[in-house]
Amino acid sequence: MEVKNTAAPRLHIVFASLGLAFLLIFSWVLFHEGSAEWRTLQARFRRLEVTVKNPHQIAQTGSVAGLHQIWMPDLGRVDRCGTCHLGIDDPAFVGAPAPFTTHPGTWLSTHPTDRFGCTTCHDGQGQATDYANAAHQPQPFVSRSMRPLETIEANCGTCHRAFDPPDAPRLAEGRRLIAASGCFSCHEIPGFEGLKFRGPDLDSIGYKVRPAWLTVWLTDPKSYLPQSKMGNFRLSPDEIGSLQAFLLSQRARVPLDSTAVDWKKADTSNGRALFGELRCVSCHAVNGRGGTMGPELTHIGDKVRRDWLFAYLKDPHAVQADTPMPQYRVTDDQWRDVTAFLFSEYSSGNVDSESPPVAYQDARLVAAGRTVFERRGCPSCHHLAPIKDSGRIGPSLAGIADRDPDDLPFGSNIVRHTTDNYIFLKVILPDTLGLPSSMPTFGFTPADAAKIALALASIRKADLPASYVLRRPSPAPFAPGGKFGALVARYRCLSCHSVRGFGGDLSTVPFDRIGSQLQREYVAKFLLNPGAVRVSVEARMPVFHMLPDEAATIADYFSTVFLDDRLDAYDTTFTAADVRRGENLYGQLGCQACHQLGTAGGYVGPELSGTGARLKPGWIAAWLSAPQLYKPGTLQPDYGLSAADARALTAYLASLGGRSAATPQGGNAR
Amino acid sequence: MSARPLMLAAGIAMAVVAAPGCRSRPASKPDDLLLNAIRADEQEGNLTHVESQGKHLFLHYCATCHGDEGRGDGQNASNLTPPPPDLTAPASARTAALLKKVIIEGSASVGRSPLSPPWGRSLSGQEIDYLVAYCQSLSRRKAG
Repeated sequence: MEVKNTAAPRLHIVFASLGLAFLLIFSWVLFHEGSAEWRTLQARFRRLEVTVKNPHQIAQTGSVAGLHQIWMPDLGRVDRCGTCHLGIDDPAFVGAPAPFTTHPGTWLSTHPTDRFGCTTCHDGQGQATDYANAAHQPQPFVSRSMRPLETIEANCGTCHRAFDPPDAPRLAEGRRLIAASGCFSCHEIPGFEGLKFRGPDLDSIGYKVRPAWLTVWLTDPKSYLPQSKMGNFRLSPDEIGSLQAFLLSQRARVPLDSTAVDWKKADTSNGRALFGELRCVSCHAVNGRGGTMGPELTHIGDKVRRDWLFAYLKDPHAVQADTPMPQYRVTDDQWRDVTAFLFSEYSSGNVDSESPPVAYQDARLVAAGRTVFERRGCPSCHHLAPIKDSGRIGPSLAGIADRDPDDLPFGSNIVRHTTDNYIFLKVILPDTLGLPSSMPTFGFTPADAAKIALALASIRKADLPASYVLRRPSPAPFAPGGKFGALVARYRCLSCHSVRGFGGDLSTVPFDRIGSQLQREYVAKFLLNPGAVRVSVEARMPVFHMLPDEAATIADYFSTVFLDDRLDAYDTTFTAADVRRGENLYGQLGCQACHQLGTAGGYVGPELSGTGARLKPGWIAAWLSAPQLYKPGTLQPDYGLSAADARALTAYLASLGGRSAATPQGGNAR
Repeated sequence: MSARPLMLAAGIAMAVVAAPGCRSRPASKPDDLLLNAIRADEQEGNLTHVESQGKHLFLHYCATCHGDEGRGDGQNASNLTPPPPDLTAPASARTAALLKKVIIEGSASVGRSPLSPPWGRSLSGQEIDYLVAYCQSLSRRKAG
């Protein structure tokens, strides 16, 4: 009894205070929910709505009250951003204050919110319903806060896996840089499967380069060639010495015999003329001008041995089997002149005689060089017969965008610890991240490194459902046989031209439907003496000095294999009235702004005075009607021509030049 | 007697002072290097993000006549009569609506020569908006 009496009042107090506490918590919860940020915002929105819309429109759109949620089960996302961003897909709120303003641009028409939500593109915490927790700004312990607009292209790339996604120029440039720099030779990079990047074959480098040049190159490739694709491996002088001995001992293939060449007879002015005529600058740059497919030639005389260069020019495929360089039909004397010209013009020293290649006797040094070669991953990019390719030396970059920044080293860099910043630092300064790194320094500018980092930051760990992903097309290899195949191999057509996406992109003309685009006679003549079709394009087709029957073989193959029946089905019986109307349209539409006709007009597009002899009418009509379809990004605008207008213009253009005047224009002018 | 409430009050005061401190970021904010690199790239021409997107398109589609800087001095400009206008010259008449119309429908649509073609079917609405923004920035930059 006594115990009961003493316990009862204490329990009452406990229950009373507990009850009070629960009441307090309950009312705090009620108050907190009632005054939540999103409720206040929705009230503000309703006040704004009446100023923007009339009551009828408001009644139509319905109530905004309550949480708005988009559930995307296939993406595993729940976005409640629409709770506050109430005018996001309503054009009536253009220019309204944040967070009610309409989404800028036209993205929501291609990426509707009910399919893509918001965080798919923007990141942030989609489930939150207040500003701070939604991670509009970087938040501690939130791994993916909202991306600022500057880096949002990384998220475009998660779905858009093609090389040049629309509206994302930095991402496209970053991917192009990755492809050009060959990052995938050492790293597995999702999206770059099937691509090959090869540095020069080193099997016979002992015959090819000068020892002094090799020292400079191995110390820092950029000091010889600022745009070098090879990075700086930060090698010690000992490593460079042994690597040099190892490399210069590589003489697997004896180059073609050049002892019979009488260098005293060399005519450098003839060499200079040939250098221009053969269009070497389409692929090789000198003094900052020219193509980038082949090596830069400004100091070529300091780099290679004269005997080797002569042998290489004469038969590049015998010296380096996988080179993109074509084999011209040029005589030995002509190659001697070109070689002598290159050495007189593009060399800092005086090269009248050539010493034989250096022989390294120290087997230990050579063996040490081989170790360096293998350890630093040289075989990933360079083929060398005695060493088998050990695969990718660098870590896989699959899922790199989802690496936890807390697990990543940042070294002594004062930087916010995000995966983006880690990728950027690794790309630009790989040796500053606190751990020893065997990755070379590529010397990217900050702007280029940022573009590459954007492209890498689009590589997420979990793959998206297939319905969201726009993949990079992987073209089927094109390897024709027979006489045509031998010509394609000899003249390396696919270094510049492509067939259904396979091949190079230096040329403006893919082979896909070339037989339905170009007149057969024009092709046969053009191959014998290619001229400039587009005056403003620097890269021009080389003059191969092809034999007439070779040109005929190629022209025949084009006109029997690479056809598009829809183009050839075009009705080509034009009336004189069609031609006249087309001529008027030509002037009215302003075609002369870009196209030259005779001596008048611009030189952005091809010269048109020989069009009738050059192009087939079906192709002219198809091209004029939908240029972007055949060549995305072309400078030929789509005028939205009616079929009749397209036909009139086609009639006019097909009448120019005529079949009788089928002579390719241009010539060898540089 | 009086020490307890005093300590309680002090404790609450300390908590109140400390609480925002826990949430705020460190005083010297570490850099976002990737972001800075992109901003520096954009600010090279003193451009906003949208304008710099427009610049990429301008260099590809327009610069051959209008010039890399929009001064009307592209490599093809000498072939054109009338020549392309200097877009960097301050011109109050060059409104966003007019620029948009010329880009979409061509210069002939506003009563000028047909030499500047219509891009409305070749470029997306988004791309045209970018271009308009960049074209407007050209005269602004000269004025500023």
